This record gives sequence, C-alpha cells and structure tokens, in this order.
Amino acid sequence: MKRLAALLLLGAAAAAPSALEAQTITQRGFADASLFLFAQETPNDPTREVADVLAREEIFVKPAGWLQFAAGLDLRASSHDQVDDRWRLDVADRGERRPRLALRRLSATITRGALTVDAGKQFIRWGKTDIVTPTDRFAPRDFLNVIDAEFLGVAGVRGVVQARGNTFEAVWLPRFTPSRVPLVDQRWTAVPSEAAALPLFDAGATLPDGSQAGVRWSRTADRVEFSLSLFDGFNHLPNVAVFPAPTPFGAPPALAVSRTYPSIRSYGADAALPTKLFTIKAEAAYFTSSAADTDQYVLYVVQLERQAGEWVIVGGYAGEAVTERRSSFVFAPDRGLTRAIVARASYTIGPTKSVAFEGAVRQNGDGAYARAEYSQARGQHWRTTISGAAIGGRADDFLGQYRRNSHVKASLRYSF
Amino acid sequence: MNSAVRARLLVAIAALAVALDVRAADNARQIVEEAQKRTDAASQRYEGLLQVFDAKGKIADKRWTFERLGSHGRSKAVLRFTAPAEVKGVALLVVNHPDRASDQWMWTPAIERDRRIALQDRSTRFFGTDFSFEDLEERDVDQYDFTLLGDDAIDGAACWKVQSMPRQSKSSQYTRSIVWVRKDNYAFARVESYSKSDLVRRLNYSDIRSVQGIWTARQLEMTDARRGSRTRLTLDKLEYNVPLKDEDFTLQAIRRQ
Repeated sequence: MKRLAALLLLGAAAAAPSALEAQTITQRGFADASLFLFAQETPNDPTREVADVLAREEIFVKPAGWLQFAAGLDLRASSHDQVDDRWRLDVADRGERRPRLALRRLSATITRGALTVDAGKQFIRWGKTDIVTPTDRFAPRDFLNVIDAEFLGVAGVRGVVQARGNTFEAVWLPRFTPSRVPLVDQRWTAVPSEAAALPLFDAGATLPDGSQAGVRWSRTADRVEFSLSLFDGFNHLPNVAVFPAPTPFGAPPALAVSRTYPSIRSYGADAALPTKLFTIKAEAAYFTSSAADTDQYVLYVVQLERQAGEWVIVGGYAGEAVTERRSSFVFAPDRGLTRAIVARASYTIGPTKSVAFEGAVRQNGDGAYARAEYSQARGQHWRTTISGAAIGGRADDFLGQYRRNSHVKASLRYSF
Repeated sequence: MNSAVRARLLVAIAALAVALDVRAADNARQIVEEAQKRTDAASQRYEGLLQVFDAKGKIADKRWTFERLGSHGRSKAVLRFTAPAEVKGVALLVVNHPDRASDQWMWTPAIERDRRIALQDRSTRFFGTDFSFEDLEERDVDQYDFTLLGDDAIDGAACWKVQSMPRQSKSSQYTRSIVWVRKDNYAFARVESYSKSDLVRRLNYSDIRSVQGIWTARQLEMTDARRGSRTRLTLDKLEYNVPLKDEDFTLQAIRRQ
C-alpha cells in the first residue's frame, strides 16, 4: 500500500505540470468537536463523558479530463483512549484504535470513454437500501461507537463500464480491511453481568491474507433500477472467541477476546421501484462460508421511501434467515439490526435548520433504539448538531445489550 | 332572423372560434418554438450563486457549477455544489428526454452514494432552495400544448403571454404554466406555474443580455408562493458551446469531484 501511495503521488506530480492549463484542484474539509454524555456507567467503563476531535482534509486534483487524483487525511484526538497516540501516518487503518493521523483516501481515477478505473485507497459502496445494506461488502466501518459508524476506505482497484442502461463493475482488493470493533475495556463492548468482575483482555485479531473480489451488474431502466452482485472474500465483521486468559499463578482469572474474519461468499440483489406513493427498495444477500464456525444466512431488507414537502421518510423491515447455524459469537451490527422494523425521517425546517429521527425496534420487542437530532448551520462554515439516542432492551439482544449507552451528543463543525 | 339562418350563423361563429383557437395555439407554439430555437446551443456552462431569502430577508448563500451538453429535451446536465463548504461535491445529474420527464440522480459524497430521484419526489425543494427538482429539468416544446393568452408587459418589455399544459400531466407537479415571452428577443421574462388554480411558483428572469448571440437572463428569481420564500440565482462566467464530453455526464462522472 505504501508503494502504491508513492506511485500515485509520483503520478500526480508527473501529470500535473504537463497539463497545468486544464488542471483543476478542489478541496473540502472540516474540523469537528463532539462531546458525548452517557446517562449511565457500564460494568467495564465508568466514563460518562467522552470528547472527540476530528479534522479532515480531502484534495482532488484533475490534471487532465481523463485523470483525477484524490487524497484525504484524518487527524484525531479522543479523551477516552480511542485514538492510537503514536504520531505516524497510518496508511492501512487496520488497528484496534483510530489512528492519530490516517490516510483516508489516496486514489487515481482514469476515465476512457465508458470505462472508469479507480485504483488506490477509496470508498466502494454497493446496494440501495439505507439502514441495513446487505450487499455492501466492500464497506468496512468504524464501530468503536456502534451506532455512530463511519465508513473506512479500502485499498484496491475498481473498474466500471457503463453501456447504455447497464453498468458492469468489478472490484479487486489485494488486502483485507476489517471493520473496527468496540474496545474491550469500553462501554460499547457489552459484558454480561456475570462476567463483569473478570478482567477482559483483547487477544488481538487474525487478519486474513488473501485478496477479495466482486462483480456487480446494474441495470437502469425507464422506471426500475436493479443490480445483481457476487462477492468473494472475507467478512469485515468478526467471529469472536472468548476464552480464559492465561494468568500468572495466583492471579485472579481473566477472559480474553480474539477475533477472526471468516471467508464468505455472498450472492446479492437489490432493486428500486418508484410507485405513485413511494419508492420501494429491496435488497437481499445470501452469505455462504467455507469456515466451519461461520453461519450461512440470508439478509434482506424491504423499505419504502418518500419525500413529501420538507420530509424525507424511509421505513421498512430488515430480516434474517439463518440457513445453517454454526457460530456462537459474532460481532455483527448488520445482523443485529435485522428482524426489526427500521425507520428514518428528516425534516428540513429551513435553509439552515433540520431535524432527523431514526429508530429500530426488534420484532420480538427485545431491543429498541431511537435517535433524534437537531442541526443548525451558521453562516458559510459553522454547524451545530445536538442529538440524543435512547437504547433499551434485554441483555441478550444486540440492541438491548447497549441499554446503558443512551446518550446525548453535541457537535460543533467548521467546514472549509 | 329565422332559425335556419341563426343556426348557420352559430355554426359559422363556432367554426371561426375553433379556427381562431387553432391559430392561437399554432401561434403560441410557434412563439415558444422560436424561443427554444434561439437558445439552441451545443453546450452551456456557468457558475451560479444561489441566495435563499425568507420573509425576513436573506438566509443562506449556495454556489454551484452547471454544465449542460446538448439542448432542449436531448440534453444532459451536471450541477455541482461548490459552497457552502459542507455541501461541496454534492452533485445532481439530469438526463433530459424529448418524450418524457428527465432522469435524475444525486451524488452525496458524505455517504459516497448516489440516489435516483423518483418521479413522485420531484416536486420537493432542491437542497433548501425554492427550486424543485422538476424545475431543474429542461423539457422540449413537444411535451406541452400551448395557448396564446394575449399580450402583456414585464418590466416595460412587451411580451406574449402563453399558457402551456404538459401533455403527460402525471409526470409534472404543475397542471399548467403561464409563460411571458419577450417580443423583442424571444427571451423568457416570467413563468408562473400552477397546480390547478393555485399558483405554486413564479420564476422571474432579469438582467437579460446577449451572450454569444443568445439572449440569456443572468438573474433568475424563483418565488415559492405557498411558503413566501424566494431564491435568486445569478449566473456568472456564462458560456455557450464550450467543449464538453459525453462521458462527463454519467453516474460515474458525478462521483468525481
């Protein structure tokens, strides 16, 4: 990846002077400070106030009409040890903590007629549905705060050919990027009360070496859009093993947590069909695995979407059907939000103000989550956002396990 | 006057009325066709400043760049926000069709996804402005029926007042529009769009100048009659017939910044 980064930078430098006239440079960025206030302590985390700072800068250079380079950096700080303190540029961003300084993206985009090739660290999104996206397999996320998950870039090559209403897409990632999971000593790792007294250690992750690939065909017709996709690689969400940690003789017992990322293959489809009242979006993926400890299952989502006046409303059902149950512990927010009714609504109060609501309720009532957000821009650069999230349910439910994590969040962002 | 003569007279009057109406419709169509013909260009590019006002005054500024390839119902356009900073890179691709409503996709860089704007959602406001998604599309003269309503004046300029009704009313939020076309240069001076009898939006054109031989309004002001708010669009660095490529008007292209 470092070699690739160097090559891209060299390419940018070489291409730029030759086409200075045509070159366009654009940038966007922001500095964001957030404060989380949690209502309760958790057994493994008494901290109730967490502050995060993130500065992001992205630059796009277009030395010629057929070529574009994109680069982005993130600089972070956290009051709650969620950031790796070392001052170095983290290119791969595969660590347990967020890097202090990370390469968010670094890619070259080449366009020749109907063909577009993106090479480098980039973001690849598949699928059409919003709250759960079963076919979105090249999009690992940062789940340190489970319900505030940002996407992580992936390093690889993406080729797209557009021919009339058809889009053919092929993706190859030589190196795996996992989703970042909650830290074991923090509140988003829910520890059962019976194990709360035991120290919990992170025994690390075994990251797979192989490459990942996927192909997708999308068809845009007069009214309907649909896609078929195939993914062959690894789940960016881990299987989790919990076992007694080796401790010195006489020391109290402890538990260790390790993560593995199983190979999976998924067969996916998604579609969007506008009707008179709603746009119906549906997405499903069937996941198989050669790993003995990994479930085989189908995730599916059906959602209705409608813009009415100042409202944007999305609501639907996310489901899961396990065709073969093999594993006992997984960290899988995508599956955790299934068998649930999910909804999101936003209302634009005016050119500078908006409110948004989001929620999920498990069909068995064992877990529920709701969030409300008010956001206001000031001038050309500033935005203040205040949100509150309420989480409830049973300890053995994916949502319910975070019932002590209800919180309010205040953010101040300066965009430039 | 006996009944036979009266009947014949009534038939003659009715026939004359129909003929006049057909002629008025023909004239109206010719006026709009001529206006469309005079704005034909292979491409267009400008930088737009959007100023959104509510009843209390100015609220927010937004800026976009606009590029269009082709003309009138056979065009494609990309509109990309450049300010404020938090919406930089948000882009809208509009693919116009001669025989039906346009296709529209919006690219949102913050979530790295595109979304097709469904037909039933086109009446909603575009990004907090008083333009709706539908107002951003460019339709061909063949998609409307026209009636000449008479003469009028806008800002002292003599105009034809033409009513247009979409042929496929289901694909438009507006049941009819009234267009004022200036007699001196065939430039649009005002468009009022109605839903049944209610005025929904009024678009005023001003600062009309000849740019590369095409009479073009450099300032457009859209008023949302229901909300009482308005958005002023000022066109800067306007150029016609600039070299643009078809491959820059695709879903893949709007992903590029």
